Amino acid sequence: MKLLRPRLLSFAADLFLWAYLLYSGFTLYYLEALWSPWRPEEKLVWPALSPWGWAVVVVGMVEAVLLTRSFGPSLGQRVLGVHLVGEGGRRPTFAQRLAYFGFSHLEILVLGAGVWLNPQNPWHERWAGLRLEPLPPLGSEARRPPWYRTAYGLTALLLIAATLAVGWRLTEVDLQKLVRFAPKSLRIWRGLTNPSFEYLFRPDPRIKLSFLDGLVQSLYMALLATVAGIVVAFPLSFAGARNIAARSPFGWLLYSLTRGFFNVFRAVESVFWASIFAIWVGFGPFAGSMALFIHTIAALGKLFSEQVEHIDPGPVEALTATGANLLQILRYAVVPQVIPQFLAFSLYRWDINLRMATVVALVGGGGIGQLLFEYKDDLQWNLVGGVIILFMVTVWIMDYVSGWVREKIV
Amino acid sequence: MRGRRGERRLPPLFVMPHLVVENLTKIYERGKIRALSNVNFSVEKGEFLVLIGLSGSGKSTLLRCINRLVEPTSGRIFLNGVELTKLSPRAMRKVRRRIGMVFQQFNLVKRATVLQNVLAGRLGYNPTLPTLFGRFPKEDVRRAQECLARVGLLDKVYVRADQLSGGQQQRVGIARALMQEPELLLADEPVSALDPATSHSVMQYIEQINKEDGVTVIASLHFLSLARRYGQRIIALKAGEKVFDGKPEEIDDRKFKEIYGEEAEEVEVR
Ligand SMILES: Nc1ncnc2c1ncn2[C@@H]1O[C@H](COP(=O)(O)OP(=O)(O)O)[C@@H](O)[C@H]1O
Ligand SMILES: [Mg+2]
Repeated sequence: MKLLRPRLLSFAADLFLWAYLLYSGFTLYYLEALWSPWRPEEKLVWPALSPWGWAVVVVGMVEAVLLTRSFGPSLGQRVLGVHLVGEGGRRPTFAQRLAYFGFSHLEILVLGAGVWLNPQNPWHERWAGLRLEPLPPLGSEARRPPWYRTAYGLTALLLIAATLAVGWRLTEVDLQKLVRFAPKSLRIWRGLTNPSFEYLFRPDPRIKLSFLDGLVQSLYMALLATVAGIVVAFPLSFAGARNIAARSPFGWLLYSLTRGFFNVFRAVESVFWASIFAIWVGFGPFAGSMALFIHTIAALGKLFSEQVEHIDPGPVEALTATGANLLQILRYAVVPQVIPQFLAFSLYRWDINLRMATVVALVGGGGIGQLLFEYKDDLQWNLVGGVIILFMVTVWIMDYVSGWVREKIV
Repeated sequence: MRGRRGERRLPPLFVMPHLVVENLTKIYERGKIRALSNVNFSVEKGEFLVLIGLSGSGKSTLLRCINRLVEPTSGRIFLNGVELTKLSPRAMRKVRRRIGMVFQQFNLVKRATVLQNVLAGRLGYNPTLPTLFGRFPKEDVRRAQECLARVGLLDKVYVRADQLSGGQQQRVGIARALMQEPELLLADEPVSALDPATSHSVMQYIEQINKEDGVTVIASLHFLSLARRYGQRIIALKAGEKVFDGKPEEIDDRKFKEIYGEEAEEVEVR
C-alpha cells in the first residue's frame, strides 16, 4: 500500500480541522463578547493579532495536530483509514506514543523530508518503534474501543458541536421571538382559516385572473415543462451514463460535458431561470414554463442517467454479441430495464413542477402563484387562504394519483 | 467461405481451420491482471470444444476475446481465415452476427417477453429504423417460433422472461443464439447456474445444435464430468495459460490435479 498519500492527506485534514475548530471558537467568543447589533459590523472577522500572536496560534495548532496523531488515531488518520501500530501489530505503548510525539517535532522541523524520502517507514516512526498501517476493516478486529473513548470520536464530537453552535449564532436563531411576536401572526392565521373563494370562477377585476384559471394555467405549465423536459432528457441520459457513453475518448468527453451540464443547470434554482426568462420573453406563464423546462431537463437527465448506469449489463453484453448496433442495444437491452423508473421519475417531476410553478410566479412566472403573491402583498389573507386551500387539494389529489400510477408501473 | 467487403483474408495457400487463436494475450488495465498469456489453439468446423479450469483461470476472457467483447492485448484470431483482431468495429459487428453466445446468467431482458428476447438475436441482420419501432420481418417472427419450438418452449412465446425457470431461461438464450444462424456458438458456463438435471437437458440442446446443424461449439464448463460427457476435445486453462489440449480420456488423475490443484476431488454431475 502506498502510504505517502494517506500521510499527507490525513495531516492536511488534521491541520484544517484544528484551524476550523480554532476559528469557530474565536467566532463564538467574538459574537458573544464583542459583536453587538448596534455596531452592525460583519459577524465573521479576521482576528487582529501581532506576529507573535500568530506564531503562538500556528504552533498551538500544530501541537494539537501532533498530539491527536500520536495518541490514538486522529480524525484525519481515521478518515483516511490508517493508524499507528507497534512491532508485530501490537497496540503502541504510552512511552512509544510519547516518543513518537517528540520525534514528530523533528520531522516538522525538516518540513517532512523523512516522509518524502521514505514514505513507507520514515525516521520518526522507526525511532519510536511504530509504523503506520491501514486500518483493519470494520468487524475484523477483536475489540475496538467505543467512539467516545477515542481521540477521533471526541474530535468529531467537538467538530459537530462547534459547527452547530456557530450555525445557531449566525442564523440568529431566537426562540424568544417566536413566542413573543406570535400575536402578530394571528391576523394571518385568522385570514387563512376563513378562506374566501370569491374569485374561484369570476376573475379578480384587478388581476384579471380567477383562481381556477390560475390553477389550470399552473397545471399546464407544469405539464408542458415536464413533457418537453422528458423529451430532451431522455436521449441525453444515455450520453450522461458512464456505462453507455464513456467507452472511448470522445465518449468520455461527451459523458463529462453532459454530466457537467446536468449538474450546473440543476444547481441553479428554477426561480433564477424564471427571472431570466421573465426579462427575455416577458412576464407570464411562458417564462415560468421555460424556467421549469430547463430545470427539468437537468434534474430528470441526472436521475435518468443514474438509472441507466444501474442496469444489469448482461443484456447489453448479449446483444452486443449478436451484432446489434448501439441504437438497437439501447432500444432492446437498456430501455426495457429503465422504462418503469423513467415513468416514475417523470410523474414525480410533474408533482415537483406543479409546486415550482407557484414559486416561479414570485419573479413573474404567471399561474396561480401570481394570485398568491399579489394577495399576500395586499395583506388580503382570506384570499390567500382560499388560494392555498385550492392548491393544497390539487397537490393532494395529484400526489395520490401519481403515487397510485407509480405503484402500478414499477 | 463467405467473402465480404472490408474483410481481410489470407491467401488460400492453406486451408485454415474454422477458428485459429494465435498467441492470444489479455492484460486487464485495471489491476494489471494477466488473464490470458500466449494461448494457441485451433478448432475445426463442427468440433465441440470444452474449456475447463478453475474460476479466474481466464475461460470467460478467452471466449469474449473471440467475439471481441473483450479487446485482446495482443495475438491474432482468425475465423474462416478472416483476421477478426484487425476488423473495424463495423466489420466486427457483421461477423458477430454469425457467432452465437450463451451466458452463465442467461443475460435475457427480464421484463421483455420470450419472443422479444429471441427476436433480439436477429437485430444485426435488420435495418436499424424499423427495429427501433419494434418491427421485424414476418420471416423473422416465424423463425423465432421455429427456434423456440426446437428448445421446447413454443407454449411460452408471450410469457415474460422473468416468469421462467432457470433452465427455461437458458433455453431462451439458446433460441436467441439460434436466431443468428450461427456458424460458431460460444457458451460461457451455460449450466453453472442450473441444477444437475436441468444442466444435462440444456447441454443436450447445445449438443443437438452441434450435431444437427454442424455448428462449431466452444463451451466452458465448471465440472470435468460434464466436459467429459459432452466435449470431443478439452482445453484446460490455468492462470491464463493453456495447460492441456486433448481428448477427454487423456485427462488422468495426475493431469486433473495439475489443472485443478492438489486438493481437488473429481465430482460427478448426474
Ligand atoms: N473486467 C475485468 N477487469 C479486470 N480484471 C478482470 C476483468 N474480468 C476478469 N478479470 C480477471 O481476469 C482473470 C480471468 O477471469 P475470467 O476470464 O473471468 O476467468 P473465468 O471465467 O475462468 O472464471 C481473473 O483474475 C479476473 O479477476
Ligand atoms: Mg467466467
